[in-house]
Amino acid sequence: MSLWWILALPFAGFLANILLGPRLGKRFVSVVATGTVAAATLIAFSRLIPFVSGTRETVIESIGSWISTDRLSVDLALRLDPLSALMLSFVTFVGFLIHVYSVGYMHHDETDAGYARYFAYLNLFLAAMLVLILGDNFLLMFVGWEGVGLCSYLLIGYYYDREYAAAAGRKAFVVNRIGDYGFLLGLFGIFTLFGGFSYDAVFSAAAADPGRYAPALGLVCLLLFVGAVGKSAQFPLYVWLPDAMAGPTPVSALIHAATMVTAGVYMVARCNVLFRLATDAMMVVAIIGGFTAIFAAVIALAQNDIKKVLAYSTVSQLGYMFLACGAGAFVAGMFHVTTHAFFKACLFLGSGSVIHAMGGEQDIRKMGGLKSKLAITYPTFLIATLALAGIPPLAGFFSKDAILAAAFAWHPEKAAWIAKLLWAAGLLTAGLTAFYMMRLVSLTFHGAFRGTHEQEHHVHESPRSMTVPLIVLAFLSIVAGFFGLPVVFGEHANWVEGFLSPILLPLAGLAAEPHHLSHAVEWALIALSVAVAAGGLWLGWTWYAKQGGAVPARIAARYPAAYALVAERFRVDELYDALIVRPFVALSRILWKVVDVLIIDGVLNAGAFLVELLGDLLRFLQTGNVRNYALGILLGLVALMFYVVSGF
Amino acid sequence: MTGSAMVFYAAAVLTVVFAAVMVVHRNPVKSTLALVVSFFGLAICYVLLSAPLIAVLQVIVYAGAILVLFLFVLMLLNLREEPAPPGSSRPIQTVLSGVAIVSFAGLMLGLIRASGDPAAGADPQPLTDIARVSRLLFSDYLLPFEAVSVLLLAALVGAFVLVYSEKRA
Amino acid sequence: MSGPVPLLHVLILSVALFAIGLTGALLRRNAIHIFLSIELMMNAANLALIGYALSWGTPEGQIVVFFVIAIAAAEASVGLAIFVALFRHTKTIDVNQVNLLKW
Repeated sequence: MSLWWILALPFAGFLANILLGPRLGKRFVSVVATGTVAAATLIAFSRLIPFVSGTRETVIESIGSWISTDRLSVDLALRLDPLSALMLSFVTFVGFLIHVYSVGYMHHDETDAGYARYFAYLNLFLAAMLVLILGDNFLLMFVGWEGVGLCSYLLIGYYYDREYAAAAGRKAFVVNRIGDYGFLLGLFGIFTLFGGFSYDAVFSAAAADPGRYAPALGLVCLLLFVGAVGKSAQFPLYVWLPDAMAGPTPVSALIHAATMVTAGVYMVARCNVLFRLATDAMMVVAIIGGFTAIFAAVIALAQNDIKKVLAYSTVSQLGYMFLACGAGAFVAGMFHVTTHAFFKACLFLGSGSVIHAMGGEQDIRKMGGLKSKLAITYPTFLIATLALAGIPPLAGFFSKDAILAAAFAWHPEKAAWIAKLLWAAGLLTAGLTAFYMMRLVSLTFHGAFRGTHEQEHHVHESPRSMTVPLIVLAFLSIVAGFFGLPVVFGEHANWVEGFLSPILLPLAGLAAEPHHLSHAVEWALIALSVAVAAGGLWLGWTWYAKQGGAVPARIAARYPAAYALVAERFRVDELYDALIVRPFVALSRILWKVVDVLIIDGVLNAGAFLVELLGDLLRFLQTGNVRNYALGILLGLVALMFYVVSGF
Repeated sequence: MTGSAMVFYAAAVLTVVFAAVMVVHRNPVKSTLALVVSFFGLAICYVLLSAPLIAVLQVIVYAGAILVLFLFVLMLLNLREEPAPPGSSRPIQTVLSGVAIVSFAGLMLGLIRASGDPAAGADPQPLTDIARVSRLLFSDYLLPFEAVSVLLLAALVGAFVLVYSEKRA
Repeated sequence: MSGPVPLLHVLILSVALFAIGLTGALLRRNAIHIFLSIELMMNAANLALIGYALSWGTPEGQIVVFFVIAIAAAEASVGLAIFVALFRHTKTIDVNQVNLLKW
C-alpha cells in the first residue's frame, strides 16, 4: 500500500476523534486511536520488510505537485530510504505501544471530551511526525516539524486548567519558535543556494560541486542546526524540555523522549551531505552536543522529580547524539536515536506506572520500596536503566560505545584537542548517567516507603494495557543493540551501519571516514566505558540503596553553594528570565505606556480633539433654517462665478 | 421689428410682471394664479422660439397639472395669512440675500454679454417639426425616458407613503 | 437658424425670471411661496435651454426641457406631500418656525 496511507490513517483518527470522540465516548476513541495507529504500523512494516530484505533502493511516491511556480516547484512526495525506514520502524511501533499504554493511563481520570482531545492530539502528532520523517523535501519536513511542535504544545498544556502546564506549553512553543526561526532561515539559504527543496536535487548538487557551495553552507548548516537545537532541546534552548514534563506521562515518553525531540538529530543526519561540507558547523554541532550532554547530566544528579530526572537525562542523551553527528558518526547518532527511543520510552512509561501507582506523586523522596509492589514495572525499569547506563549487552551499551569510539577516533583538522575533550566529557557523562539513574532506581524502588499511609495502601500494579508495552519496550532495550555491534566483532557485524551507509556515509570524492581504530584500542575503549558505567551504578547503589543517602547529604552540606547551584539547574531559567524575559517585558511595558498610550493614542486623541473642536465651532452653521442654507448655496454660487469671471 | 418679435416682447413683459406679482403677493392662492399667467406667457415665448411641443407641455403639464396640484394643496390646508411672529425678521439675512441676488444677476448678465451670440448652426430641418423631436426622444433618449417613468412611479409611491402613514398613526 | 429676437434678449429674460425666483425663494417665509419661486427658477432655466436650442439649431435642448418638466412633476408631488405632512405636525408652513434640525 502507498506510503501515504501510513500518515493518512492517524490523521483520519485525529479527525474522527476531535469531531466525534467527545460524543461517542471513551470506547470509540480508544478503538479509533489505537486502531488507526495499529493499521498504520502494520502498513509501515508491510512496506519495511520487503524494503529491508530487497534491494533497498530509495522509493519516492508522489501524489502530485504542491507548489508550482516558475522559480520553485515542490512535489507532494514521500520517500522511503534506509534513514526514513529506520525512523519509520520505531516511530510507528513505539507510537503504537504508547497509544495502548495511554488507554490504561488516561482511562479513569478524564472526562470523555478530555480523553478524546488527548487521543486526537496524539494521533495528529503521529501523522505530523510521519510527514517529517517520510517527506521527500525540506518543505514537507518543515510541515511535519511545525506540526509536531504544535502537538507538543497542545499536549504539554493538556491539563490547561493548571497554570504551570499552560505556562510550560507556552514556554515550549516560544523556545521552539526561536529554533524554528533558524530552521526557516536555513531553508531560505538552501533555496537561495540550490533553487529547490528536494533532497535528491539539493544533496546531489552539493556533492557534485563541493567547492562552490562549501563557503555558504557553513552558515546554512548553522541555521539548520539552530532549528535542531530548539527541537531537540540542546543548550542553550533546552529549557523547555524539563518543563514539558507537565504534560501526561505517555506524552513525555512519546514526544519528549522517543520521537519528536530526535527530529533534530534526524534532520542533521538527513543533511549529512551538507554538514560534511561545513566542517566548522560540524565542530559547533559536536561542541554543543558534548557540552549539553555533560551539563544536563550534572543537573540530573540533584533532581528529585522522577520525570525531571528523566527529562534531563533525555537532554543529555540528545547531546550524545549531536556529539556523534558532529564527529561525523551519523550512523552512531541515528543508532543511538533508535535504542534511546526504546529504553527512554520504557523509562518514561515505567515512571508513569510508578506515578499512577502512587496516585500522582512524582517526588522520589516520598517513594521507596516499591519493587515488591510493582512486580512488572520494577524489572522493566531496571532493564531500561541498565540499557541507558550502558551495561553490555543491552542496547544502550552498543550505541553509546559507538558514539564514544567515534568521538575518540575523530581527528578534526583544527583544534584536535577539542575532540579529545569532548570524548572525555562523553565518558564522564556516561558515568554520571549511570550514577543518577541508579540513584533514581534506588530511591524509587529500594529502601523503605517514605510516602503517606494512604499512598502506601493505594500502591498497585498498573493494568495490563500499561504493563504489556513496558515488557515489549524492555525486550527491545535488550535486543536492539545487536543490530549495531562494534567493529571488533567482525567487519560486517554492524548491521545498522551497513543499512544506513548508502545515505549516511561520505560520498565519493569527499574526505574518507576518519577513523579506523585498531582492535586493541577499541577493546580498551569498551572496557573503559563499561568500567565507568559500572562504577557509576555501583556508587549510586552504595550511596542510595545501601547507605540511605548519608554520603551525598554530607557532600551537599559541605558544599551548599555548589549543591544549590546544581539543584536549581544552574539557574539557567532565572538567567534567561533576568537577561531576556524581564528586559523584554520592561521594553514591552515602555512601548505600551509610552509609545502606545502616550504617542500613538496621544496623536489619535489630539486629532480627534481637533476635529471635535472644529465641529463645536462649525455646528453653529447648522441653523436648521432652510433659507439660511439656500443663501449659503447662492453665496457659494456667486463666489464660483466671481472665480470664473476673474479667470476670463 | 417684426410682428413675432413684438409678440415675444409683450409676452416677456407679461411673464416678468406676473412673476413679480407671484413673489410679492401675500395670498398664496393669488400667487399661484399669478404664476399660471406667467407660465402662459412663457408658453407664448416657447412657440415663438420654435418649440411648440414644449409650449404645449408647459400649458398642459405645468400650468394645468402641477400648479393646479398646488391649488388643491392650498385649499386642503386652508392656509391663512399669518402675521410674522415677533423676532422673526432677520435683517442680516435679508441684506445679504439682496446683495447676493443683485451680484448674481449682474455677474450672469456680464457673462452672457461676454460670451456673445453664438454662431447659428445651419440646420436644414426646422425645430418646429414635432415629429423630429419626438423621434429623437424615443430613440437616442429612450433610456432616460423610461427612467423618468420609474422616477414618476417612485414619486407617486413616496408621496403616498408620506401622507398615508401619518393618517394611520 | 435664428428666431424672432436675438438670443441675448432671451437670455436676459431668463436671468430676470431667475433673479425674481431667487428673491422669492430667499426672502419669503411661506413654504408654498418658496416652492413656487423654485418652479419659476426652473422655468427660467428652461427658457435659456430653448433659446440655445434655437440658436444652435439642435433639438437636444428641447428634449432636456421635456425631462425637466417631467421631473418637476415628480418633485412637485413629493414636495407638496412633505408640506402636507409638515402642516399636520406643526400647524404651520412658515419655514422660519421649522428649525428643529440644528445644533
